[in-house]
Amino acid sequence: MTSVLIVDDHSIFRSGLRADLDASLDVLGEAATVEEAIARIAELRPQVVLLDVHLPGGSGGGGAEVIRGSSGMLDSVRFLALSVSDSAEDVVGVIRAGARGYITKGSSGAEVSRAVEAVASGDAVFSPRLAGFVLDAFGAVAGEQAEKDDELDRLSAREREVMRLIARGYAYKEVASELFISVKTVETHVSAVLRKLQLSSRHELTAWASARKLL
Amino acid sequence: MRYHPDSTLSSDPGGGSTWLDSRVSTPVRPPLSRPRDVLVGGVCLGMARHLGWSVRSVRVLAVALAVAGGAGILLYLWLWALVPLDEPVPGEEPGIRRRVPGAALAVGVAGAGALAAAILAPVDQRPLTSALLVVALGAGAAVAWSLGLDRSDPGRSVRYGVWVRSIAVALLILTGVVALVSRPSALNAVLGVGMVVLAVGVLAAPRAVALMTDLQDARTARVREEQRAEIAAHLHDSVLQTLALIQNRAGASSEVARIARAQERELREWLFAGDDPLVADLAAELREVAAAIELDYPARIEVVAAGESVSASPALVAAAREAMLNAARHAGGEVSVYVETSDAATDVFVRDRGAGVDLDTLPGDRLGIRESIIGRMTRAGGTATVRPGAGGGTEVHLHLEETSD
Repeated sequence: MTSVLIVDDHSIFRSGLRADLDASLDVLGEAATVEEAIARIAELRPQVVLLDVHLPGGSGGGGAEVIRGSSGMLDSVRFLALSVSDSAEDVVGVIRAGARGYITKGSSGAEVSRAVEAVASGDAVFSPRLAGFVLDAFGAVAGEQAEKDDELDRLSAREREVMRLIARGYAYKEVASELFISVKTVETHVSAVLRKLQLSSRHELTAWASARKLL
Repeated sequence: MRYHPDSTLSSDPGGGSTWLDSRVSTPVRPPLSRPRDVLVGGVCLGMARHLGWSVRSVRVLAVALAVAGGAGILLYLWLWALVPLDEPVPGEEPGIRRRVPGAALAVGVAGAGALAAAILAPVDQRPLTSALLVVALGAGAAVAWSLGLDRSDPGRSVRYGVWVRSIAVALLILTGVVALVSRPSALNAVLGVGMVVLAVGVLAAPRAVALMTDLQDARTARVREEQRAEIAAHLHDSVLQTLALIQNRAGASSEVARIARAQERELREWLFAGDDPLVADLAAELREVAAAIELDYPARIEVVAAGESVSASPALVAAAREAMLNAARHAGGEVSVYVETSDAATDVFVRDRGAGVDLDTLPGDRLGIRESIIGRMTRAGGTATVRPGAGGGTEVHLHLEETSD
């Protein structure tokens, strides 16, 4: 049973989501503001926090501020960002603060539940739009490619392939069968990309981060 | 003349006739207001219209009152300040036309005063004070008239205003200097210095006025922008959330979700108007096509773009449209569109989750794929592949090499 905390400032959305989530998820509670979210995370220790990107309270940093406020628990508590806006730009700040993925609020309860399970098991959740943004931001479309695997500022050839397929709407399983690799390998690649997205100092990413006062 | 409307329908004939009589005996006056095409302030014209007198008699009366002790002047100024203006006629310039060139007259008075001052300065200091005052008041009035009234007057050119103000400044400085070099009395020395200072002020006035206007405009714009941002934030937080909720509760292919999605898109476009470049690039064009298709079919089309923005090739857009249309019509549900543009080539992938098509068994009347997609792309010098997607559904891949021209 995966324990979940729902953080969103709209009660109507929280209750709707709560009713929609799979029975296999155990919703521990809800929070509506930055302060409340940080307090409830420390108190309840959920495995996954469903976190709205735009939140009132705190110093105005929204979801990213919640993650930074709970940074001591990042290895046990995982964050999945929820956003009403489907622009990846909106979400990059939360990802760079430490979220393990993002999903739009238009997604069905089943989709959100799947994403929660994936995040709980340590995987990253990429939407097609976020994948498209990553391809853009790392210059993969223009043909830039990492020469070594540990290079943070560019994607490896395989990572680029995986991202392109995700952008095309492929699920991890479909990506795996398309590239003749295991689902586990796909997940490894996606996690590697997520790590680069969080740690890279490419100017496109740092520009987003500094515009949102994350640096 | 306020009455209850029912009173006209009164059954009492006597009451009705009294009411009618009283109406006839007091003619309706036009409201007291100032017209927009006037001599000086439009006060006499407005009074004449209101009272039903001739304009000439009102003017004569006003001048008579003015000469006899100055009451006419005070009354005129009082009415000028308090009587409202006519509403501007739509389609015409909103400014007020004044036929009396007040600024030029005031400059003339100042000029006469300056002449008197120049003659009097070496002779007698006492009457010089009056001359100096005439110059200062005349020039000041000219500048005030020019800046305050003539600027909004469509009948006065900018050049005329510049001339009037230049002459006023020149008169002020000239007279001021003349007064100062003529061994002035203390009072005249103060007046002379004051006039030079006034002249400098006049030189700076238009700039200060412009600066004030700019500041005002900037403040208005900022307030408006803040208000808009506030509304946008509110709508973003509440309405978009609700629309998202409706969509995910109703299911991607339901009618309700489709309406909610169309509304969401419209709202988003309004909220973020001005954020997008106006140049029609391929991704923007495909998004538009997708939006139009979503309105007609129970499908949700997500367009993801990566790479630089390129202008849309008509053949590619038409083929992609056909592919999206096919996906929406025959598969429905979620449709993913991915556009990748690099220096070398443009790729568009359209993938659906339907039952899938087999090109070989496709009936001949399904011209859509064969002609509109593959044929069109081939003629444009590109390629189109239609194949089953991994995990079900169909994926159409359009590829167009960048022609180096």
